[in-house]
Amino acid sequence: MIKLQNVYKTYFLGDEQVHAVDNVTLEIKEKEYVSILGSSGSGKSTLMYLIGLLEHPSSGQIFLDGKNVTSLGDEKLSQIRNEAVGFVFQSFNLIPKFTVLENILLPTKYAKRKLDFNPLARAEELLKKFGIWERRNFFPNKISGGQQQRVAIARALMMKPKIILADEPTGNLDTKTGDEILDLLESLNRDFKVTVVLVTHEKDVAKRTRRQIYMRDGKLVGKYL
Amino acid sequence: MILKNGIRHLLISALSDFKRNKVRTFLTSLGITIGVLSVVMLIALGLGLKNYLKQTFESLGANLLIVMPGNSFSGEGEGGLQSFGPGMIGGIQFDEKDVANLKRIQQIKYIAPVTFKSTTVEADGKKKIGYVMGSTEDIFKVINLELLTGQQFSKSDISSSAKKVVLGYSLAEKLFVDPKEALGKTVRFEKLRFRVIGVSKKKGDNEMDNSIILPYKTVFGSINPDKTFYSIYLSLEKETDIPAVKAKAEEVLGKRYDKNKFSVTEQSEILSTVNQIFSIVNSILVAIGSISLLVGGIGIMNIMYATVTERTKEVGIRRSVGATEKDILMQFLTESVVLSLMGGIIGLVLAILLVLLIRLFFPAAINLLSVIVTLVISSAIGIFFGVFPARRAAKLPPIEAIRYE
Repeated sequence: MIKLQNVYKTYFLGDEQVHAVDNVTLEIKEKEYVSILGSSGSGKSTLMYLIGLLEHPSSGQIFLDGKNVTSLGDEKLSQIRNEAVGFVFQSFNLIPKFTVLENILLPTKYAKRKLDFNPLARAEELLKKFGIWERRNFFPNKISGGQQQRVAIARALMMKPKIILADEPTGNLDTKTGDEILDLLESLNRDFKVTVVLVTHEKDVAKRTRRQIYMRDGKLVGKYL
Repeated sequence: MILKNGIRHLLISALSDFKRNKVRTFLTSLGITIGVLSVVMLIALGLGLKNYLKQTFESLGANLLIVMPGNSFSGEGEGGLQSFGPGMIGGIQFDEKDVANLKRIQQIKYIAPVTFKSTTVEADGKKKIGYVMGSTEDIFKVINLELLTGQQFSKSDISSSAKKVVLGYSLAEKLFVDPKEALGKTVRFEKLRFRVIGVSKKKGDNEMDNSIILPYKTVFGSINPDKTFYSIYLSLEKETDIPAVKAKAEEVLGKRYDKNKFSVTEQSEILSTVNQIFSIVNSILVAIGSISLLVGGIGIMNIMYATVTERTKEVGIRRSVGATEKDILMQFLTESVVLSLMGGIIGLVLAILLVLLIRLFFPAAINLLSVIVTLVISSAIGIFFGVFPARRAAKLPPIEAIRYE
């Protein structure tokens, strides 16, 4: 579904050139449950943002469903992000001034096409499934971390994306709650056939996925060192 | 449908942000409120002044020519506009001989030479400021002055220097409470006593309503020691006679005075010149008022920059769920325009209320144009001063924005 070909992402720290992502070629197939494992600074988050089309590669090509999306403009890329990609972050990244329900509805505000579902009905369905429907009118700071991450996942699912990209989704949660979130992501992949990419530095977390991609110094490596 | 929804979403989003920052929103739009208020008020007062002058001039009789010292209204000569003003200091003064000469021009129906002086009038134990106007009996016809009570002075009153006066409505009211009561009473000024033989109807003109009109010869030697006139009003039978009479009057007076030292002016000319002067003054005032609008706009820009920084993370989140650069730009632009427009509308409403109040004693006016211009300018300020902060927000790299704490 998503293919990266010889992708580089280069930053400049002063005069020094840093390859955050260094010649990565990678394919993630539909309905896969895959983790990108690497220590902090290994470039795994940057790789995830490249997959999610939130970041432009310095060089190389990115294909989505066989179509080269590398040089698409902001409008098109935003539309793909809106329709096909759902992000889940370590720090939840809910907008504090919006209620749970408003946060979940946010992606529908940026829809460029007429929606084939009723946003409120879908929000209700997701919130009920995740057991946070009663919290719909709460502001994010009034609910627990686990609940916030569920809201974030519900938001990521709102537009019926093909792929969910989760960046250390359990990083700010205790083990038990973290496991619940991982269960949830797993069920999304299993029951809803959504591709899930899990970015983590914890082996135990990565182990739960069917496929692991190891990363070090911006490069893909055979195994985790 | 999607577009309409989008605009609704933008507006709701903007308003909900303002609700959260009530004080800041209020203070920011206050700049625009004050700017709009001052500009609209200045325009309204300018219009009022114009109306006032128009009323004043229209209340004078029709087909009127005014002979005055100076060359103020032709725009030529040494005096120019500088010599415009009460008293025309330094100009020539006319006398009875000029009046007699002018009287020979056939088409003139009425002729009223006028001497003019402000003085303190005493009656009934009260002292008030009044404007003494010495003239002929024709003055009542020339300036369309109707009497509330009593009668005008007559031709024989002039030759006999009768100490009879006609009081303006307001002056009579100030001195005797009920203007009608003034009839037959005595008023004193310049150490002389005069009998009130008439009171004029209210005219809406400050000088006319506080005037003391009397036969010009009565004040020869006292108020008017030189026996001269400040101006001479010529009232004509027909409007078509104006150019001919004007030329003749200039010829007649030209025999005695330098052509640059006097002028024969139609009232429409005076009106347009005065209007011109006030238009210029008003434009300058409005321009000065606009500076406050500019300052208000800078205030908005300042706050918008702060808002963008404050909401960097929000921008990142919105971008991650599919907001385009344009969406972000529109979001912040909407906020600044709504902010500015809100300030503008409040300023406009305040201005309208103030003008309604002022109208009780001055014909100030707000026209549709100034309302439209205000709204357009407020929006324009919002766009102009909002576009830079909004662009900064739109151009934020999504990843950096989302990691911003």
